[in-house]
Amino acid sequence: MSVAAYGRLKSKKRRTRTMNILTFAVVVVFALIAFFPIWWIFRTSLMTNAEIYRYPPSLIPDKWLFSNYEKTLEIFKFWKYLWNTMVIITPSCLAGTFTATLCGYAFARLRFRGKSLLWALCVGSMLLPAMVTLIPLYIGWTRGLGFNDSYWPLILPYFCGGGAFNIFLIRQFIVSIPRELDQAGTIDGAGYFRILFSIIMPAIRPAMIVVALFIFIGLWNDLLQQMIYINSSDKYTIALGLTNFRGQLKSDWPLTMAATCLSFAPGVIFYLIGQKYFVEGITLTGLKN
Amino acid sequence: MKTAKKLAAGLILTALMVSAAGCGNNTSNTENTGNKDNTGNTPTKSTEPAKTSEASAEKVKIIYSMWGSAAEGNTTQKVADRFNASQDTIEVEVQAIPWENYMTKLNTLATAGQLPDTGMLKEDGVIQWSSEGMLNDVSAMYEGSDSKPLDSLAYKHKGNTVAYAAANEILLLYYNKDMFDKAGVAYPPAVLDQAWTWEQFVDTAKKLTIDKNGKHPGEEGFDEQGIVQFGASVENLPWQLEAWALSNSGGFYSEDGSEVRIGEDASMEAIQRVADLYLKDHVAPLSVGQTDDGIQRTVIAGTVAMATNGQWNVGTSLNSAKEEGLNYGVAVLPYMKDKVTISTGGANVVFSQTKHPKEAMEWLKWYNSEENNWELISSGIWMPTLDKWYKDETLTRKWVENPNFPPYDEYKSAVVDYAQSPAARPAAWFYTNYTTDFNTLLGSVLGDVWTGKTTAKEAITKNLEALKAVHAGSN
Amino acid sequence: METVTKLQKRRPRKPSRIHASEARTAYICLIPAFLGLIFLTYLPLAGVLGISLTNWTGLKSPEFIGLDNYIKLFTTDPYIKDSILATLYFAGLSVAGSMVYSLFIAMLLNRKIPARSFFRAVFYVPYVLPATAIYVGWSWLYEGNFGFFNYLLSELGLNKILFIADSSYVVPSLSLISVWLAGNLIVIFLAGLQNVPVVYHEAAEMDGANGWKRFLHITLPCMTPIIFYNLLMSLIANLQIVTPALALTNGGPGNSSRFLTYLMYDQAFVNYKLGYACATTLIIFAILAVFTTVLFKTSGRWIFNEGGDDK
Repeated sequence: MSVAAYGRLKSKKRRTRTMNILTFAVVVVFALIAFFPIWWIFRTSLMTNAEIYRYPPSLIPDKWLFSNYEKTLEIFKFWKYLWNTMVIITPSCLAGTFTATLCGYAFARLRFRGKSLLWALCVGSMLLPAMVTLIPLYIGWTRGLGFNDSYWPLILPYFCGGGAFNIFLIRQFIVSIPRELDQAGTIDGAGYFRILFSIIMPAIRPAMIVVALFIFIGLWNDLLQQMIYINSSDKYTIALGLTNFRGQLKSDWPLTMAATCLSFAPGVIFYLIGQKYFVEGITLTGLKN
Repeated sequence: MKTAKKLAAGLILTALMVSAAGCGNNTSNTENTGNKDNTGNTPTKSTEPAKTSEASAEKVKIIYSMWGSAAEGNTTQKVADRFNASQDTIEVEVQAIPWENYMTKLNTLATAGQLPDTGMLKEDGVIQWSSEGMLNDVSAMYEGSDSKPLDSLAYKHKGNTVAYAAANEILLLYYNKDMFDKAGVAYPPAVLDQAWTWEQFVDTAKKLTIDKNGKHPGEEGFDEQGIVQFGASVENLPWQLEAWALSNSGGFYSEDGSEVRIGEDASMEAIQRVADLYLKDHVAPLSVGQTDDGIQRTVIAGTVAMATNGQWNVGTSLNSAKEEGLNYGVAVLPYMKDKVTISTGGANVVFSQTKHPKEAMEWLKWYNSEENNWELISSGIWMPTLDKWYKDETLTRKWVENPNFPPYDEYKSAVVDYAQSPAARPAAWFYTNYTTDFNTLLGSVLGDVWTGKTTAKEAITKNLEALKAVHAGSN
Repeated sequence: METVTKLQKRRPRKPSRIHASEARTAYICLIPAFLGLIFLTYLPLAGVLGISLTNWTGLKSPEFIGLDNYIKLFTTDPYIKDSILATLYFAGLSVAGSMVYSLFIAMLLNRKIPARSFFRAVFYVPYVLPATAIYVGWSWLYEGNFGFFNYLLSELGLNKILFIADSSYVVPSLSLISVWLAGNLIVIFLAGLQNVPVVYHEAAEMDGANGWKRFLHITLPCMTPIIFYNLLMSLIANLQIVTPALALTNGGPGNSSRFLTYLMYDQAFVNYKLGYACATTLIIFAILAVFTTVLFKTSGRWIFNEGGDDK
């Protein structure tokens, strides 16, 4: 290495360090802003009803009423709701991610007759708000198939491709992988499924985790459908349990917010677990060679 | 890598088992309805006639739907259990549905032909459901009874009584006594005969409105941007505005509900006066009718001296605020030309899809007697519907003399007597169709009136045809 | 969709033996999605189309009324025009805002900074929160008289802003929440950034390209399929927006936040005009279709690597 090149590298290192400090500062500022509304919800969960409406508003509760959480847990049967929710989410997440990957692969890599039509239909299905098909689907599931007070109408759709958004996401990720990768496989004589399982899937693992995450959160917060299909309170999910705090006339905001804070914890944990997989750069190990 | 695969396979397997178990539970639940009932949980809906008849001889099964949390559902189920034990022909099962999605759920149930036999219905849906043939006539319910619901609480469609309100509610004026004492101003009257005129109301509100420098509206150097305490707040949700239109000898509709009267000068002027509390008089905070927590944001928050809203606030928020030291009072509403308040209350209906209308009515009649809703009534959320509670003072005392309520004399005069006076008029949805559409459109039309971008007269005149079309159900 | 067809035309045909097994594989892969499309999307959609030609209330049995619902929508409906404008305004602001915000944040979070996982979680949490809580929380911040933001403004000696109570501020205020909620876009961008081959960066660094140039010539082009996806997703989601109107504004003040899907919800589930609501739905569907088609048609010009092998 020439002296000049060495010097350039050294100054570059210094520059990188200042850049990193700068980046960190910017991240902290944005994080504070983004975190503020979350803090607002959290501090509400520790207040009395009167304190919430007080002026001037306070950023920190007078007394940290952790007893709100105890009260909340009396009404909000967290573990039961969590179990019920997981019963819906676990198969949905797995089936949804798997079928979305299959479909995304077909659309990204394979050639077949009717591809553009199917793809157009697939994209078209994203344009339909879920609320629209609520009533036709409800009639189909309950009167047609006899699913009353059951989780199946919430789960089964995820066995059907996991939603066009997710198919699309997987497709986009596969498309962004160089073709040379699977062509190498083809030369080795590997079949299409082998290529999918041993080359494509490891390469798009971040995307698959993202899809699982989206299905998770989507089901977690999907109040409308759960409300329609579930009748009895011992089948309540987290989302339905949360509505327990709001009556027609009475709203206990501190308790609602406490339940909210409890309810999103699993989502964050799931994210933190997933993040380890898709963030640490596993994906491109194959590409570096 | 291999362990990861094994782990994944294991996970999938567990997941499938979990879901199989979970879904298996569903079916077993429906099969074992009898067992479930014993545990006291909200029973699951049984669709198997054989099992039902086995469990309870020849009892007719009635499903009653209500809005509320699971806990509230359990409370009501306990009441229903007493009813179930008291006779041997009817078995009532309660289905609680969260309030926010109650009507959406009922709507989907209706389209699928799976409505419960009887249940609560939101005020503004009753006449429309009735006009669609979804409700049974309940006129016969109180035949031969010694006490009937107040006349203002019957929902009437084409001359038939299609529902009675489950509770009674009227609009009141709430105020913070400490703020009045501090300003040395007399309290608002609790007696209808002494009700304030609108001008007296505004003048008092000015005395109670204070800016950062302690100045009142109309004084030299008063700073509208720096108001720290407002004198008054009049709730401007469209349905509550009807009270003011009526009070100014106008109204939303003609007396039989057939004509739209909101285009009359008196009605529009009344609405403008409410808007002017913020715009011109500077005695009220801005409110655009978006939320329903008016009392919490005003009197309880300690930012407003007096505010109008429904009676239910006594039980939903003011009772706990009172415990925390809020010294509040209740008074009758001020008036423009006529003394008016609006009475309302969610309905108990019998759905026409039921096979057992007689039994459903029997249950409703039993359930509607106040002793069975005592928790809601004694806490101040609901007022009784039967007239005896208003006319028989011993019963009134039984109802009102408890720490959830303001002092007896004050409440008796400003609420109990007010509610049975001629000033209490039923809200339009007791006899008029399409009030939801109308109120939505009116709310949208008035959106820029509250901020002063346009006037009530301009906004309403411009949209009068649309409002009329909506009221006729043709849009 | 268009791009796919074009690419297929350009692509050289391979021997038909491979083609047959390739197609067979594809059809097997697509069985689940195919079932979903038929039974969960297009059959119900046909139902919606049918219902839109009736006066069904969801309660009593429907009567066929031809195109009356559509005629009413375009002639006498008091909301539809404002509603379309409000929706487009909101979607425009929110899509632009959340795309820039999420790409920017994702780029920052992709660098080596301390406590990176923590920060990633912070930006992601809004997306996990249930809608009710989010909007109630924000409503206290936005409140016109005594909300926290107005408290700050008055402390600074500034005039109050009415935020969601003022028809000129309500859409920007709601868009801000929507941008804040864009944690899902950040996650996708982050995953996408992992797919930018490190070799390219290393090569460019050797050539002495600075950060900005590398962003412009390597990161951005490699990310275009992901950007396209996020753009599409955020466009569709924001054109279908309904929760803020349901939870916060009831469509007001006036009609300034009466977004199309909210309008549809109101017609269907509050006013029992199911036939009419279905007609509105098809209008929403048409608007979305127009935007999506435009996006797809232009995508060929700027998406790098689409169908990679053809380069």
